[in-house]
Amino acid sequence: MNQIYIMCIDDEPDVLEAVERDLSTLEHLFPLETASSAAEARTVLQRIADAGDEVGAVFCDHVMPAETGVELMRWISQQEPWKLTKKALLTGQAGLEATINAVNQGGLDYYVAKPWTKESLIEVAKRLLTDYIIETGKDPMRYITSLDTVRLVEAVRSKGIMSDT
Amino acid sequence: MNAKALIGLALGIAGFAAAMLVPLNGLELSAQITLGIFVLAAVFWITEPIPIFATSMLVILLQVILLSSQGIVFSVRTAPLAETEMNATGALVVPATVINDAGVLYLNAEDKSARAIKPATIVPLGDDRVAVTGPGLDETARVIADPMHRSITVKSTPYATFYATLASPIIILFMGGFALAAAAVKFGLDLSLTRVLLKPFGTKPAFVCLGLMLCTGTLSAFMSNTATTAMMMTVVLPIVATMSPTDPFRKGIALAIPVAANIGGIATPIGTPPNAVALAALKDAGYTVSFSSWMMLATPFAIVMLVFAWWLLVKLFKPATNHFELNLSGSFNKSPKALISYAIFAITVLLWVTEKVHGISTSMVAFLPVALLPALGVLDKKDIRGFSWEVLWLMAGGISLGLSMKDTGLAAWLIGQVSWATLGNAGVVVVFGLVGFVLANLVSHTVSSTIIMPLAISVGATLAATGNFNLVGAVVAIAVIISLAMALPISTPPNAIAMSTGVIESKDLTKTGLIVGLVGVTLSVLLGLTLWPALVS
Repeated sequence: MNQIYIMCIDDEPDVLEAVERDLSTLEHLFPLETASSAAEARTVLQRIADAGDEVGAVFCDHVMPAETGVELMRWISQQEPWKLTKKALLTGQAGLEATINAVNQGGLDYYVAKPWTKESLIEVAKRLLTDYIIETGKDPMRYITSLDTVRLVEAVRSKGIMSDT
Repeated sequence: MNAKALIGLALGIAGFAAAMLVPLNGLELSAQITLGIFVLAAVFWITEPIPIFATSMLVILLQVILLSSQGIVFSVRTAPLAETEMNATGALVVPATVINDAGVLYLNAEDKSARAIKPATIVPLGDDRVAVTGPGLDETARVIADPMHRSITVKSTPYATFYATLASPIIILFMGGFALAAAAVKFGLDLSLTRVLLKPFGTKPAFVCLGLMLCTGTLSAFMSNTATTAMMMTVVLPIVATMSPTDPFRKGIALAIPVAANIGGIATPIGTPPNAVALAALKDAGYTVSFSSWMMLATPFAIVMLVFAWWLLVKLFKPATNHFELNLSGSFNKSPKALISYAIFAITVLLWVTEKVHGISTSMVAFLPVALLPALGVLDKKDIRGFSWEVLWLMAGGISLGLSMKDTGLAAWLIGQVSWATLGNAGVVVVFGLVGFVLANLVSHTVSSTIIMPLAISVGATLAATGNFNLVGAVVAIAVIISLAMALPISTPPNAIAMSTGVIESKDLTKTGLIVGLVGVTLSVLLGLTLWPALVS
């Protein structure tokens, strides 16, 4: 059974810590990996892929030295192993321009404004991971209690994932 | 692979080898091989070292290789040929031993079959050799040395017969059900029907629950129990979310769905695979049960069980509120394709229940939606791929194995190990029912019925031949009992779905499932021996 990771990229250690703390309730099913720059993120992503594991959702800061979050997202969305990975921009300073770019070119799925509340971040994570589970055709039964129950049960019905055997 | 699967793998293979190698009194070689395949399949199905549908495919493969007339054991290619030569008079000189007591010898006809030839003349030449003449006895003749070779004496089955089980009428019947269900889900017919059917039940929790159970039961009579449960759960979960966490009826209403789905599957032949397994076994024994005959026996029973289960749930989990907020907005999809699918659904079901009037058999009607829905563009390639093909393979493997068990005499031999007559009719139904009930609680319902039905049919046929035993009533009772096995989360996929939503605890499910199951078992044994035989004869 391969793991599905959540990835968080931010150059500020405080933010990474906060995300780690807020998403700890999902940790048992979706372990969190962090990186403090786009370059490091690529290394971590590659390591996950080499181990045969997947990345379900990425939370990424926009304003980082060397490479912006939007550029990194565009790159991620073009790589085969992470084509279906859900991407959220986690930022307080992205202007309209950058946001539009993130949506149009980076395949952005969600925009989380700083500061966020724990509940809203968990809700976003659950929503994105539910999308990921359904789109990749994974067995929804493992995730029903931890993610969006109604949508996963609906997927069981409409996709005929389980049968009377 | 976990320990259980590893043990299963080892046990299955060991059992397969043992059944084939240990000489058993009164069993032909072909029956021993069938026993080996049966043991392997049963162990694999129960312990699941490989997926259950894969086991079924493996069963068919083993039958084709080991049991068919073209396989490595019984093919005419395996028979050694005799030394022959033509003599000066144009007769064929062969060893005397190639001719059997009836004066017949056998030729290997193109490696496909053994051809019996009665020579026109047989002239002994001494030295255990004879000269034979007759049609086909020339220098090209490939004479089989031993007229008692297994490829000649054992009546083996052509390999195509095993493959053909995937297209057997019962499988096609189920495919028809899949096509209807796929169209219903695609256009949300199941959901719109639920909204309409729930309206008259008001907002009192107990009555809403009854409405939900009747809806679930009705839908699962025509769709898969699992898909129905998933759909109804999406209706129930929002209701549960509005209830107080201390209200015991939260559990009651969540339990109502899998219980009703399991019971609803009993009502029609296409409701759940065990019904098809029962019908296939009956067909094989020469009894054809029509759609309406099945419903005449099973539908009233299912309704009674539904109402009983509802009463039990309301009693065990007394509602604390007296009002439910229901959101029943929404309307029927009225696009042209949706309307076509409703029409075909209605026509198919109507033809099914009126077989007595027009005489077109259930499986013939079943192909109507399979062919028409794609032809009219209602179902596309993706929908066809979405059929539960693994279920069809699972049933085909069972039907194919049942064929060999019957044809090789294995089923009769297994049954012969117990003197059933001393048990009496009631004893037989009780024994098979209880074994089926226990097994089906632990493993898949389809697998349980696949293992039990061929044996039950053999016993039943023996009893039916000697006395006043009604095979149809008994087999329907056993099929019904298997569907009622729902005491554990692993018993049925509907239970698994309901459990995984986190609303119910295992002990609630076990308590409810066990009471409903045991009451149902008692009732169906009684009916299977009394009322049902009277209705079908």
